[in-house]
Amino acid sequence: MCSWRAAAIVAAMLTSNVVTVRGLQKCYGARKVVDGVDLDVLEGEVVGLIGANGAGKTTTVECIQGLRRPEAGTLRVLGLDPVREPERLRALIGSQLQDSALPDRLRVGEAVELFSPRGARRGGEELLEQFGLAERRRSAFASLSGGERQRLFLVLALLGRPRLVILDELTQGLDPAARRGVWAAVSQLREDGTTVLLVTHELDDAEALCDRVVAMRAGRILDSGPPAELVDRHARRATIRFGLEEVYSSDALLEELRDVPGVERVERAGPRATVYGDRRAIAHVGSALVGNGSVPADLSVQIPSLEDALLGLLDGAQAPCLTDDHEYDLIGATR
Amino acid sequence: MSTPFARLLKVELKLMVRDPLVLTFVFVLPVLTMLIIGGSFGTKPQPGFAGRDPAHWYVASYLTVVIAATGLVMLPVHLASYRERGVLRRFAAAGFPSWSFALAQLVVGLVAVVAASAIELGVAAPVYGVPALHDFWRVAVGIGLGAVAFVGIGVLLGTLLPSARSAQAVGLMLFFPSFLLGAGGPPPRALPHAMRSIANLLPLSQVTDAIRDPWLGLGSASVSLIVVAVLAVATTILAARRAAL
Repeated sequence: MCSWRAAAIVAAMLTSNVVTVRGLQKCYGARKVVDGVDLDVLEGEVVGLIGANGAGKTTTVECIQGLRRPEAGTLRVLGLDPVREPERLRALIGSQLQDSALPDRLRVGEAVELFSPRGARRGGEELLEQFGLAERRRSAFASLSGGERQRLFLVLALLGRPRLVILDELTQGLDPAARRGVWAAVSQLREDGTTVLLVTHELDDAEALCDRVVAMRAGRILDSGPPAELVDRHARRATIRFGLEEVYSSDALLEELRDVPGVERVERAGPRATVYGDRRAIAHVGSALVGNGSVPADLSVQIPSLEDALLGLLDGAQAPCLTDDHEYDLIGATR
Repeated sequence: MSTPFARLLKVELKLMVRDPLVLTFVFVLPVLTMLIIGGSFGTKPQPGFAGRDPAHWYVASYLTVVIAATGLVMLPVHLASYRERGVLRRFAAAGFPSWSFALAQLVVGLVAVVAASAIELGVAAPVYGVPALHDFWRVAVGIGLGAVAFVGIGVLLGTLLPSARSAQAVGLMLFFPSFLLGAGGPPPRALPHAMRSIANLLPLSQVTDAIRDPWLGLGSASVSLIVVAVLAVATTILAARRAAL
């Protein structure tokens, strides 16, 4: 490794980073699933790893947690090396793992007791209250609904007030109400100053919760930044639709809209018009409609989302997408 | 009990007694079959049973049925189910020491063997009587090593088989031949030569000989005891490596 690069890594690790990853590589057999990932997570940040299935998100966080041993790269998490001190590190991290259950006959209260670090039982009771599971303390895991299970996993991840919480596909399979409840809990974590690393392909989650998102594909990072910046960079287009019945001299208006700043294209289909452009066009088209003296009641605006941005990013990337292999539990398997 | 290992062991012991498969195969089946077959040949000493009371022969033999049920059915299904559902990954991610799960399974397996053996002897005592122990220490060592060997086999199977269903299928396929030829079926002298040769190769037969012979005064079964000891060491080392979190 070049001396300047080593110095840069050390310098990065001496800052307030909770997670520092440089040049991470991980292979399953001959297949490279993480390919040179660099990642920094600062104290108190909520960072989302986004990307399609098989992008390498889960493997990256498993290396960060010390659950998998990388082929190459440097990692520093909460001041510890996940490769050399995995057990010490894991006890400091709150983890919600993808596709990971509890024994069917284990009761909620017993799960809290089992996963509570020494002296954290009282905190467990408070968390059960906070997440609406206090009444289910004596219920077996198998009898919980999907939403209750996810809330229990969140309780277990938060036991002992960890400085870093890793949440992998936390809202998978939840109904909208349960999802909002989980969002509120993560927002509360942010307010408490907890650092959160969120792995998701639910982009609504990432957009609502994350200070910064990191988009991955085929084991590589494509781009990163605040959700709004990613949207700006990769999905600038806005779509404005309205009916023409209530519009005076519609042909003249549509002609005028073609010259409005930010507008790329204007289309007419029968009694409806669609205007495509960047987000500045929304204000200018609105202004033109007001100037025309008739604002259609069916006016609708579709602004780009993080999903549009990710699709734009993935369209631009040429690397082949990896497929998910079914991987059994780490125990008894090759790490 | 507040160390991670103590918490894990406490939960695993609770889950063991809530598992219908464990209750059926480890606690009920050996007792029921012992009662049936123990009463099938009367209580007068017979040449086919090395001149011993057949009921006593089976009371001494059936401790190894408990050991086989624990090692070949209970533990493989339990572990494979945990692996299949990501429970072990959750334990690892929560910072449980890497050795804690393997040790907890060893203790749970041994507790199951001791508890089920106590039930079997408790039921046998008023019905057939418990035969006198001719060599207490050899019997105790045989039971201890046999239990450790089969707990090791069970943990190994659980870490190698991909699902709870496959563990159950393979476990039962191993259990019933071992049960019939190596412990709870006809006595070796009643078996044809070929079947007896096969029976002698079964690990459970070695455990049974190492327990039954010194118990009933049929011999010291030193060779069987050495085989069981080697098996116990080998399976424990392999199981500890495979079940590390």
